[in-house]
Amino acid sequence: MLEYQNLFTRVQVRTVPEAGIQIENADNRMGTGWFSYLAGKFGDAQIGPIYLGTAGTLSLLCGFIAFEIIGLNMWASVGWDPGEFIRQLPWLALEPPPPSYGLRIPPLAQGGWYLMAGFFLTMAIGLWWVRTYRRARALNMGSQLPWAFASAIFLYSTFFIQPLLVGSWSEMVPFGLFPHLDWTSAFSIRYGNLYYNPFHALSIVFLYGSAVLFAMHGATILAVARVGGEREIEQITDRGTAAERSMLFWRWTMGFNATMESIHRWAWWFAVLTTFTGGIGILLTGTVVDNWYLWGVKHGLVAAYPAANVLTPEQQQLLRGRYQGTAPDTFPAYPPYSASMTRPALAAEEIAPVINAQNIADSLAAAGRVSIRAIYFDVGAENSRPESDEQYREIVTFLSQNPASRVSIVGHTDNAGDAASNDSLSNARAAHVRSTLISSYAVDSTRVEGTSGMGSRQPAVPNTTPQGRRANRRVELVSATPRNP
Amino acid sequence: MRANHMARTTRAALVAPLALALAGCIGERQTDTVQVGYRGVALEQNYTRGDVQKQFAQVKIPKTLAPAGASPPGPLPWQNVQVLNDISVAEFNRTMIAMSTWVAGTGNCAYCHNVANFASDTLASGKPLYTKVVARRMLQMTRQINGQYSAHVKNTGVTCYTCHLGKPLPNGLWFYSSQNDYLRHYLDRDGARVVSQTVAPSNANRSSVKQTEWTYSLMISQSKSLGVNCTYCHNTRQFASWTQAPPQRVTAYYGIQMMRDVNSNYLSPLQSVYPAVRLGSMGDAPKAQCITCHNGNYKPLYGAQMAKHYPAIWGRADWNGAPFPGITPSIAATPAPAPGTAPVVAPATGAAAGAPGTAPAGGGLR
Repeated sequence: MLEYQNLFTRVQVRTVPEAGIQIENADNRMGTGWFSYLAGKFGDAQIGPIYLGTAGTLSLLCGFIAFEIIGLNMWASVGWDPGEFIRQLPWLALEPPPPSYGLRIPPLAQGGWYLMAGFFLTMAIGLWWVRTYRRARALNMGSQLPWAFASAIFLYSTFFIQPLLVGSWSEMVPFGLFPHLDWTSAFSIRYGNLYYNPFHALSIVFLYGSAVLFAMHGATILAVARVGGEREIEQITDRGTAAERSMLFWRWTMGFNATMESIHRWAWWFAVLTTFTGGIGILLTGTVVDNWYLWGVKHGLVAAYPAANVLTPEQQQLLRGRYQGTAPDTFPAYPPYSASMTRPALAAEEIAPVINAQNIADSLAAAGRVSIRAIYFDVGAENSRPESDEQYREIVTFLSQNPASRVSIVGHTDNAGDAASNDSLSNARAAHVRSTLISSYAVDSTRVEGTSGMGSRQPAVPNTTPQGRRANRRVELVSATPRNP
Repeated sequence: MRANHMARTTRAALVAPLALALAGCIGERQTDTVQVGYRGVALEQNYTRGDVQKQFAQVKIPKTLAPAGASPPGPLPWQNVQVLNDISVAEFNRTMIAMSTWVAGTGNCAYCHNVANFASDTLASGKPLYTKVVARRMLQMTRQINGQYSAHVKNTGVTCYTCHLGKPLPNGLWFYSSQNDYLRHYLDRDGARVVSQTVAPSNANRSSVKQTEWTYSLMISQSKSLGVNCTYCHNTRQFASWTQAPPQRVTAYYGIQMMRDVNSNYLSPLQSVYPAVRLGSMGDAPKAQCITCHNGNYKPLYGAQMAKHYPAIWGRADWNGAPFPGITPSIAATPAPAPGTAPVVAPATGAAAGAPGTAPAGGGLR
């Protein structure tokens, strides 16, 4: 029976499961318990009875809701493809609202789901804490466990308290495996390197310290288990040979030792302070300090190295000034020529005659303007259709054959839509023709002087048929006065 | 006895992974570390020898064509030549032959030209030759890059081959998509700075972690494009610092400026020229990014000197001291065609009349 008394026993007892002590009220534990051979390999073989209670049930429910919101959003992000969901799962995320929303309530697809998932996850964690506290109290235990858990929850809560303090949901941590790791990297870069945040440093000290204490304590107890060391608590009051040997070991090697009791206080405080100092570090970031590296420079924390780049402050300012402004909170909208992919080909009756270079020259000489209908515009579109190429080329030919001439461009619309939008559309069409001539057909910008729009005020033909409206969606070339007549 | 047995087991358990780890270190997987900054601060680049050797072997440099001989006397015979009208006939032909290899990959004139009428921008059927129109614009772009962005391309410069590598479509072309919005920095998104310049928070910088992630995506795409890590351009203890950054960061900065010019003034506006099959799902023209030229190498083609042999694409008055062997574009000066002959389309660009090396791009773009 010597082996049974050792911590690492291979003997698994099979008898009536241990019911545990009776407590006074609300003792509605579930089941009587059963044994697991596998669990016995790691710890106690007995599983259950468990206790869920109101807080536990609600916590699981909230956790389930959060889990479903996150999972279904991830699945939706790959078009509900099960294979892709599994393949890409490590990279999928439910992202917080984009920065343009600040602290306003976003639509569901723009982070609304994220906020909901975050709410339910927080509820689940909070309720689980309540359950932990209540069970500890019900068993007349101390509350060290719930308070240690509370320290971890404090760190968790700073991930939404800090965004509230700096005024942007977008600071929050995405739900996702790699995405939440990417967040830590981005958070550190944004705030000038968290390495220089002293509370971050403290948190790491306590984290590594916890690991070292865990290793030292675990190793010590295992090492003296053969002389009864696993009965640590007994040895606190009734110091036996195990305690004597292990304490002498540490005095020999380190000169100082913990006691059988104090080692547990060390470990508890190291663990609790890991998350507590970490949370303080997060709360100070972006609220009190915006760049930890510069904070470190200010307080003499940063080692100076020779400059790698010989740049004067003026040159640095120049590099910062051009293009490299502070990042905007949105991306520019996509230019509106998406229709070009789906629009049908021009119908035969819509094709207008191309006015050749000679006719352009003649009309401009005679009337000072020429109406161009073979640069085609779809309804509401400011960009011309690809079929307009031939007419553009004739205009280019005209301009190269008449090097003294300059033109300006007037845009027109059909009568669909209101006057104000037609005015801006006709302007946009004229501007598009000018920029196309310059950028795609290499016309010198001085040859096309200006653009204007007449809206729908000057129809060339009545707007009574589709063909008529097509013909009215046009530009005119107007002879511009030469600058040096 | 038991203790001995356990010790043996422990030893075996330690030896096996160590042997595996050692096997992984020898031969082609050997890593070379190159220090790129001050000692002891981990400013270094890591190269896996086998990968670099393989990549280097994949870079094929086309043979440089023999220098252009004498041109026939008389005025330039060209019709509808809008960009290369400042070089001799022999140099022009040499450049065209080089381009056919660099881009069409087959020495095939018909990829861009109506071989029955080389001056035409359309086929005999009247179908527009979009490849020719694009190629013309790309020549202007190449001159712009070599002429105006020496801060980035230095004296190595670029040729069509730098990106095309003998294929009509270069690598890494991108289109509008929410998946690669970060590439909009190479087009129309202004501002990538997210790190504050002051200790205390202020309204000067309200960037959130999200903006940081967008900039991060952009930076990682650059890192992948060049096959380098962050410390190639940054001292990562403070990404924002210019003085602590290796000089490559300044080169990269001009590269971003160059991409913005290239995409917004040369590639995007060709949208109306391309057939639908060449456009993105939102109808936008293909655009370039760093990997388009760099192809995973810190210097495109590992710095092979190609551009210096082809003055037609210099866009500079001299290349490393060698003067531009250009001629005065005579047809641009005499635009009036003789009556009865085919109209000579004089170039409408401002560059045609300009001296080589000054604003080689189409006029009005800057």
